[in-house]
Amino acid sequence: MKVLQSKEYAIFAGKIGLYVVVSAAAVIMVAPFYWMFVTSVSPVQDIVSFPPKWLPSYLVFEHFVEVLNKAPFHFYYMNSLTVAMVSVGCSLFLGLFAGYAFAVYKFPLQNFFFLLILSTIMVPFQVTCVALYILVAKIGWVDTLWGILAPNFASALGIFLIRQSIKSIPPDLIEAARLDGAGEIRIVLTIIAPLIKAALATVGMILFLNSWNDFLWPVIVINSRNLRTIPVGIALFKDPYGSMNYGPLMAAAVISTAPMLIAYFFSQKFIVKGIAVTGLKG
Amino acid sequence: MSTSLTFASFKHWFLVIHRRKYFHAYLFIAPIIILFGIFRVYPAIQTLAYSFYNVELLRHRFTFIGMENFFSLLEDKIFLKATFNTLMYVGCIVPISAGIGVILAVILCAKFRFRQFFKAVYFSPFITSTVAAAMVWWWLYNPQFGLFNNVLKLLHLPPQSWLMSSRQALMSIIIFSIWKTLGYNMIIYIAGLQAIPEQYYEAARIDGANNLVQFFKITIPLLAPITTFILIYNTILAFQIFDQVFVLTGGGPAYSTTVVVLELYQQAFLKHRFGYASAMAAVLFIIILGITIVQYAISKKREIVY
Amino acid sequence: MKYLKTLLILLVLTLLVSASAIAKVTITLWYPEGQITAGAAHFADKTLFADFEAKNNCKVDLVGGDYDTMRQKIFAAMAAGAGRVPDILFVDRSWVPGLLKEDALESVPEADAKQWLAAVSPEIVELSDYGNGQMWGYPQYGIDVYGITWNKDYFAEAGFDPERAPQTWAEFLYYSLKTTKKDAAGNLTRVGYAIRHVGHPHGVVHKFLWALWGAGADLITDPKALKGGKVLFNNEGGKAALKLVYDMIYVDKSTSLNFPDPRAALLQGIAAMQISETISIQARQPKEAPNLRWGVDLPPVRYVGYEPATNLNSWFYSVPRLSMNKELTWKAIKWINSVQRDYELCAKYKSTPRYKENWAKPPFTTDPYAVALRKMLPYGRAYPNNLGLDGIMEALGAAIQQVWHNEAEIGPALAEAEELANKAIRDAAK
Repeated sequence: MKVLQSKEYAIFAGKIGLYVVVSAAAVIMVAPFYWMFVTSVSPVQDIVSFPPKWLPSYLVFEHFVEVLNKAPFHFYYMNSLTVAMVSVGCSLFLGLFAGYAFAVYKFPLQNFFFLLILSTIMVPFQVTCVALYILVAKIGWVDTLWGILAPNFASALGIFLIRQSIKSIPPDLIEAARLDGAGEIRIVLTIIAPLIKAALATVGMILFLNSWNDFLWPVIVINSRNLRTIPVGIALFKDPYGSMNYGPLMAAAVISTAPMLIAYFFSQKFIVKGIAVTGLKG
Repeated sequence: MSTSLTFASFKHWFLVIHRRKYFHAYLFIAPIIILFGIFRVYPAIQTLAYSFYNVELLRHRFTFIGMENFFSLLEDKIFLKATFNTLMYVGCIVPISAGIGVILAVILCAKFRFRQFFKAVYFSPFITSTVAAAMVWWWLYNPQFGLFNNVLKLLHLPPQSWLMSSRQALMSIIIFSIWKTLGYNMIIYIAGLQAIPEQYYEAARIDGANNLVQFFKITIPLLAPITTFILIYNTILAFQIFDQVFVLTGGGPAYSTTVVVLELYQQAFLKHRFGYASAMAAVLFIIILGITIVQYAISKKREIVY
Repeated sequence: MKYLKTLLILLVLTLLVSASAIAKVTITLWYPEGQITAGAAHFADKTLFADFEAKNNCKVDLVGGDYDTMRQKIFAAMAAGAGRVPDILFVDRSWVPGLLKEDALESVPEADAKQWLAAVSPEIVELSDYGNGQMWGYPQYGIDVYGITWNKDYFAEAGFDPERAPQTWAEFLYYSLKTTKKDAAGNLTRVGYAIRHVGHPHGVVHKFLWALWGAGADLITDPKALKGGKVLFNNEGGKAALKLVYDMIYVDKSTSLNFPDPRAALLQGIAAMQISETISIQARQPKEAPNLRWGVDLPPVRYVGYEPATNLNSWFYSVPRLSMNKELTWKAIKWINSVQRDYELCAKYKSTPRYKENWAKPPFTTDPYAVALRKMLPYGRAYPNNLGLDGIMEALGAAIQQVWHNEAEIGPALAEAEELANKAIRDAAK
């Protein structure tokens, strides 16, 4: 009969405890999602029943059909995707260079410009959106995808995070590259970028999500049905004060969220793997 | 003589610029500065400038009234309540969300099975749009049919009013917001944790320190820059909370959940008092800026460079 | 280089050609789309204006938007100037004072207004006439009348005549008490009367007006005047109205703050009575509560012999001042609101018409809902036209919420609301 030492007990108990805590927390995090998915395929009676039905008595797809019939979601997807990709690509590219400049160079007005960029986060968009709309209208970008992109070509958060991660790169590395005769642009693209892959991926993901879920600005700037983005499409299904129409609303929410979740699952590995490997150790 | 001297100093100046890479610096930041300048900074400045005017945008009439908007703000009971609610909200959500975020990050950096799965699960609320998530939670909070009260009933506990009660509504929104944001904090912390060299932990283990000691003496201090960023960024965002209040309660009941940006929104777009709303934005901006500076100053003192 | 030049010329030519082909004038109409807005349902049919478009060689562009953010969108568009503003704004009529305050709307041409006012039934006149025959737009068919709707089965269960609504406040309290249901733990599972106390203050006030008016109080001294006046709710009647529901919540315990929306509560079977837009129940009951047997009537009055009163609201076709094709726009609005169209659309969408001659035609002579409404409509009152309406609603809504949530006493709450509302009226008159 094998008797476990007390230390082994402790480790075992610790592991169990870990699993319990993590699982309990996970259940709480996921419960709303689970409810969202279940409601989207449940018949109406199940949605309002008590005790709550954790599993639908039978699957119905009419909610999804209703949602897809009511609105041209394929257009919404295309628009959301286009806007997100352009916005993120642009932000990462410009942010990479700007972050590098702020991190590595010392130049006059450096702090002023950096703080100026950061301070734009501190003014609520609700209020600046009108002045922005007037401006965008003057340019003629109202009711176009360019109009949605206008305030989103660059991101203050992106610049900040990229700058932070570039700051942790040893300056010797950059000097070495310069001595080798590399131009600044080449340094940024071929040396810095690969080193901060993880940060870029993380920033990219956050910016993508922000763009995907942006509601207020697309609502104001877009009039045409076919140019709407997904959050705008979903909003039309809400009616908190009344209907029992939670089926279609949850179906719309699922349509919006599912691709992000799937994309996230797949990009997981990529984000984790790109850990900074310095050229010079120590 | 003098011309050659000026030429020499000019050449020297030019070399300095080149060596210090001023040209590259400005080139790299130029696109951002221009784009931000046009689409972010200019509208923001214009809006803040409006706070000194009585703005009748639709009639294109601007009357300068100096500080009058600001004096009115001080007497505006609803604005003061909104500010109070906002401060309460920020005070609750920032430490709790960041705290849970770091704990989860540490747990998820330990090696155990299904770690990636759990990480995805904790991050997933952040992926949803606030509007969609708020709708789900409105349903969860529904006193008759919502999941939360159903669970309470199953456990023979009294059902709560949640969003229907002027005493519970704000807390309900806070709980939702914590759920939504802690995944983001967790991800940032994980990135930071992975940057801490393993050597430190090895050395500590050799010295006989257990996990808890390691956490407090190594992890927390070395995460300080990340913590600074998380606290500052979360605070800035928390002060500007709008979406979930707009969807979940619309500011009620009885002004118990109204927040500054919501009040600003109503003044601007429902009451068409755009100058007054701009004054609110200006006040909010100053508060955010002030608190950010304070946070930054405190963190600078405590930062450890390694 | 040479090829580039020819390419450019070709490009310019094609653009010119296509531009001239789109010489058709386009009228844009903005309306709130989505679950919330049953009154705008007909805009989902994109061929709605087909005949008009053919006859006038134009295009009518129907643009739906989110209801909650619509006012923000309208504001931004107007701020940006004439090119961005739609030609027709289809809005909730309670938004009109706010728009009038900003001088944003175009008034209906006098001759058209005269013609309309002479041809429509009295309650539509009430909604159209802003004083001295001036009209700022056309109310939509399917008028919102507020009335009491009740669950006939629950009335029968409690021993009441299922076809008869309570007539006085005393009866109303009694009915409410008798139709409640509690579970074993003492929690309310069914309320007698479901109240609206959350959400936008406007909605709270709308669903409270029956009590205010029923007690002899009012929102304002002269409901028709655009400027000036004082509020009339800080008095014995107003206090009694607030106390009525307050007692139901805390003394009788026949209702509770935990039931979010009265219409949903009735449809879900967790309330016996509610007072709100009857058209909501009419539209939603077949789908959401097919087995519900429900009645509709005027809300109860305070004492026997008091005149009943109920509120009217509707959607509204309005034309912004900045609209660019005004003549064609008014033509389109007149077309969609003509006698024939009114009849066709009402019959199609099972709604109630506006023209006197249409009311006299079937199915409106026999349909039970239309008949019930016909009886109630003469007692309907529109909301005040005052430019400070938003401020009045906000102030009173806040007072109502604070009292019912036990955050303030009735007296002080109403006094404060009176002060804020009167200030809003003064500010709007400047």
